[in-house]
Amino acid sequence: MSRLEAKKPSLCKSEPLTSERVRATLCVLKGILTSSYGPSGRLKQLHNGLGGCVCTTSQSSALLSNLSVTHPVLKILTTSVQNHVSCFSDCGLFTAILCCNLIENVQKIGLTPTTVIKLNKHLLSLCTSYLQSEFCGCRILVDFSSTQILLCLVRSIVTSKPACMLTRQEIDHISALILRAFLLTIPENTKDRLVLGKSIIVPLKGQRVIDSTVLPGILLEISEVQLMKILPIKKSDPFKVALFCASLSGDLSDTGEGTVVVSSGVSLENAVLDQLLSLGRQLVSDHIDLVLCQKVMHPSLKQFLSTHHVIAIDRVGAALMEALSKVTATICSLLLCNRNDTAWDELRLTCQTALHVLQLTIKEPSVLLGGGCTETHLAAYIRHKICDEPESILKDDRCTQTELHLLTEAFCSALESVAGSLEHDGGEILTDMKYGHFWTAQPESPSVVNWSDLLSRCGCGLYTSQEELHWSFLKTTHPPFAPQTCLPHEAVGSANNLTLDCFTAKLSSLQVAVETANLILDLSYIIEDKN
Amino acid sequence: MAAAGSAKAALQVAEVLEAIVSCCVGPEGRQVLCTKPTGEVLISRDGGCLLEALHVEHPIARMVVACVSSHLRKTGDGAKTFIIFLCHLLRGLHAIPDKEQDSLISPNIQTHRRHWKNCCQWKFISQALLRFQTQVLDYIMGHYLSKHFLSVFSSSTKERTLCRSSLVSLLEAYFCGRVGRNHHSFISQLMCDYFFKCMACESGCEEVFEIVDDYFVELSIGVAGLPVSDSRITAGLVLHRDFSVYCPADGDIRIVLVTETIQPSFSTSGSEFILNSETQFQTSQCWIMERTKAIMKHLQCQNVQLLLSSVKQSDLVLYYAGLNGISVVECLSSEEVSLIQRAVGLSPFVLPHASSQYEICNTALMKFCKPLIFRSKRYVHLGFIGTCSFIPHCVVLCAPVQGLVEQHKNALRGAFKMLRQLFKDLDLNYEIQASDQNCTSSPLTNRNSRESKPLPENGSIQSPCQGTVVKNKGKLATTEAYLKVYSNLVVPSIDLETYTPCSTPKGTPTDTYQTDETRRCLVKTRTIDDSEPFTEDNSANSTTGNTRIEISCENLQVTKIAGKGSKLPVREKSLEMCTSHSQCCSSIPAGCVLPVGGNFEILLHYYLLNYARKCQQSEETMVSMVIANALLGIPQILCKSQKGNYSFPHMYVRALHALQTNQPMVSSQTGLESVASKYQLLTSVLQCLTKILTIDLVINIKRQPQKVYDQDSDEEV
Repeated sequence: MSRLEAKKPSLCKSEPLTSERVRATLCVLKGILTSSYGPSGRLKQLHNGLGGCVCTTSQSSALLSNLSVTHPVLKILTTSVQNHVSCFSDCGLFTAILCCNLIENVQKIGLTPTTVIKLNKHLLSLCTSYLQSEFCGCRILVDFSSTQILLCLVRSIVTSKPACMLTRQEIDHISALILRAFLLTIPENTKDRLVLGKSIIVPLKGQRVIDSTVLPGILLEISEVQLMKILPIKKSDPFKVALFCASLSGDLSDTGEGTVVVSSGVSLENAVLDQLLSLGRQLVSDHIDLVLCQKVMHPSLKQFLSTHHVIAIDRVGAALMEALSKVTATICSLLLCNRNDTAWDELRLTCQTALHVLQLTIKEPSVLLGGGCTETHLAAYIRHKICDEPESILKDDRCTQTELHLLTEAFCSALESVAGSLEHDGGEILTDMKYGHFWTAQPESPSVVNWSDLLSRCGCGLYTSQEELHWSFLKTTHPPFAPQTCLPHEAVGSANNLTLDCFTAKLSSLQVAVETANLILDLSYIIEDKN
Repeated sequence: MAAAGSAKAALQVAEVLEAIVSCCVGPEGRQVLCTKPTGEVLISRDGGCLLEALHVEHPIARMVVACVSSHLRKTGDGAKTFIIFLCHLLRGLHAIPDKEQDSLISPNIQTHRRHWKNCCQWKFISQALLRFQTQVLDYIMGHYLSKHFLSVFSSSTKERTLCRSSLVSLLEAYFCGRVGRNHHSFISQLMCDYFFKCMACESGCEEVFEIVDDYFVELSIGVAGLPVSDSRITAGLVLHRDFSVYCPADGDIRIVLVTETIQPSFSTSGSEFILNSETQFQTSQCWIMERTKAIMKHLQCQNVQLLLSSVKQSDLVLYYAGLNGISVVECLSSEEVSLIQRAVGLSPFVLPHASSQYEICNTALMKFCKPLIFRSKRYVHLGFIGTCSFIPHCVVLCAPVQGLVEQHKNALRGAFKMLRQLFKDLDLNYEIQASDQNCTSSPLTNRNSRESKPLPENGSIQSPCQGTVVKNKGKLATTEAYLKVYSNLVVPSIDLETYTPCSTPKGTPTDTYQTDETRRCLVKTRTIDDSEPFTEDNSANSTTGNTRIEISCENLQVTKIAGKGSKLPVREKSLEMCTSHSQCCSSIPAGCVLPVGGNFEILLHYYLLNYARKCQQSEETMVSMVIANALLGIPQILCKSQKGNYSFPHMYVRALHALQTNQPMVSSQTGLESVASKYQLLTSVLQCLTKILTIDLVINIKRQPQKVYDQDSDEEV
């Protein structure tokens, strides 16, 4: 109980979610995130008044890392999303929007947190078990014998990042490049387990996007003078490389804890330099063509090597060293071009996301239907399931049928509003009553005559409006129906322009969103340390 | 500035703290979000953590927080219950002296005198509390409560075996108060799996608790960004760092542990190395290189495939390790080193001084050694084969945010602490009167008529007890006379005590304890008058009974004449006179549990009330009553949100009925909780309350503290 450091007492607030300020800020955050969602999302320009470059983006990682959120409740939400993104790279905005929607909807119905949290958990487990089940109607198993599904997946990701400023043709080019870069990292002959290689993204800013390319191997930066000296290499023998991670600067290594007494006239520097030069002679006699050093090389050694026509590159750095030491493994360089800095940054993030998503898909070979169809389909499934057999939930929880229906409505409409956030141009949003997919219509549509003439394809592109379908507005209530489960194989095979989502990332993001919403709804006090 | 350090101030403080912690209590409890000045966000339901985060300023509050944290250090559980119980105790105590003030102190006495007078009173109460804690509590626990205890061990065999289902319900009840309500069952299942996976044999469970408790940081990995349901257990040990050199290897892997640098240096500490020429320097360097090479080569010859080092090794060592196919992990923390030493029995390898060939004996075998990646952070995963009763396993805790990971980590750690406590016997020491031993069976049957009264009436019994002393003066005087007359008669006290409660008439609602006592005295005398032949008892007992009657009368008499002020000497006298007390040692055996949801509190409440009814000293009665009623505060909060049949009044009546009819108490919950930790909590709270009551004035000093060790300046009396 020492008072040596006088600490200020903390500020303690009860029931944080009831405060008007929290609701308002949550609403603003939701507005920012919703308006950025999807291929037609609006871009956000972030500029820091204290300096740094302006960032134009619509991606959650860039948005949230630049926004400074002060309220603890919002901080929970944003860190949760950021943590998810750092694990899966994808579905950040989906997580954030779903979480906001859930909080908002639950607050409207005014049930006790205990009931809400228990029921949310049940509904979530219904969702996850359905998505993982064999008869799931919105999941496609990936066929690795063709690139079609993987290419669709990459293209969906690139398309959903409008801040990359790509044309249709450029999107196709970049998507193909990303997929090729990924395929280059898969080793040809693996024994028991697959260890993926690396793809290094090399910036080439200010050039045409169409000039981007993929090269196998590693690119090292080298000065033009040096390059002129080596070129042209006219050797038919294999190219010999020596790689050093130790410093070749001639520093004295650690001499121990005791003292080292050097007699006058003895120059340790010369002794070390002698050793370095003898190393150089050894390298030359071994017919080494390229010497790479992670740290600094002594200028005399560099000079010596260059006079003997050995290329010496130092200060390679630890990041490249890891790749270099595995140079015999599968490594490729993705040379990425874009017009300006901000668009390039956005493109780089997109490429990284796509590469990561491909890795996740290799581990768990499934993809989900994108374009809002998974969300509406899932909502229809949950509604029907609860309406059909509510006993499973009611029997082990002390809650009433009304409470269950209220919460199911809140949960499902939260999912549907995420899908609805994809439409930014004032168009009508609908769902069909057979598959439970998501459809959008042009904004200036005349008073409805025939929906099938007005609509073309559903959000994911799997179904056309020419089928005998019935539509209903997403915002209106319609009787629960059982969406068709078990995706037919032929339907998937024929469609070649699907919008797809990463299965692992979406599943985890659904869980994280519900868990985070539950956590926020469960808060009864906030204790702010004011020190 | 000075403020009265009265129970009133303490009550105000405790009520504020109670408001915060009571929202997190029990299975229905909610979460609290704590932000740190560093920007970290912590999510917690842990009472200790919340109290710490509040940075309370009020000196009494700080004392309470200090008491809670010292209790937590011992048991790792019960901070919230601590506050709630303390608050109810203070409320109970606060209700008493108000009445007394009105009746005993005339209004023209100055306020400060009243204050000092109050303080004297608090002091007496605090002494009574201390006596209660040291004498009565253990007795009640050992004597009455013990027959209700359940055990986590299945008792079919002589050797105790831990019952898995009991452990699950024990842990579930614990986590109900610690983690978000969606995750209790998941986390308790995880913990249970972890425990059984780590335990090599039943007899070694204490050691497992000890190791996990000591090295929990090393045995757990937190990953933020994944759903909680992704948390899992991995076999082996995970080091929180990456390989310096990694050479994949199959089959059993031999490891060595070093605590010094392998590469020799020019000079060691305290020595001097004189360099005379450049060639000498070069030869020395060559020698160092050759030597390092030789050692690493030698390790390879001994089939060593992994080198664990607590220090940073030179590039040269890493280079030769790579050449020889030896993986290297550097910079192990001292905790990691000692954990490895303990779990695997691997002692550090001592570098040879001569370069002769020798056998390395300090090695151990592992099943695998591979890198492990969580959220792009790399770890070293070692498949140790445990050599003691602990089989190394790690627990990976996932959650969307770091704050939740921390909450789960702390909860798991606390659970291990709780289990560690549970597996120890807890000694109870108490004195029992020889005569009391005889009548332990009878009170159960006699209580029925009075116990069936609902709760509110108990309150009315307790509060006005002091005031009536004055009223009944006349009656008492006559009683006294009677007693004096018959004091030499041989009367067995047991029978008197057993029968009197029965003959007490069922009075009007204003029936108070003091009048009960008076009546009882009258009844006693009447019984003697009737001279019923209760003479089978031995003479030793009878004399005891005789003196005890005298004591009680004297006590009453003194109370009547001099009020509170001169009570203490009487009490001392009575203590001296209790010659027939026998020291009794009992214990709460390891593994004792009771169902959760206020079972312990209701049981103790019930037996305390019975005890209070029997004891003669008014203070003791009062203290017992206050404690008994305060105990009910906990089940009340736990049942707060329950409706209908599960609500508190229903449950209370059901429980009392079961106790009176000697039926087993039926609990609506399946969880269990440790009796020992509840008992310890009770004693800690009583100690804290005693501490609070002994303070009469809080003096606020506005000055820099002079010395670091002068820590008690806030508590100065």
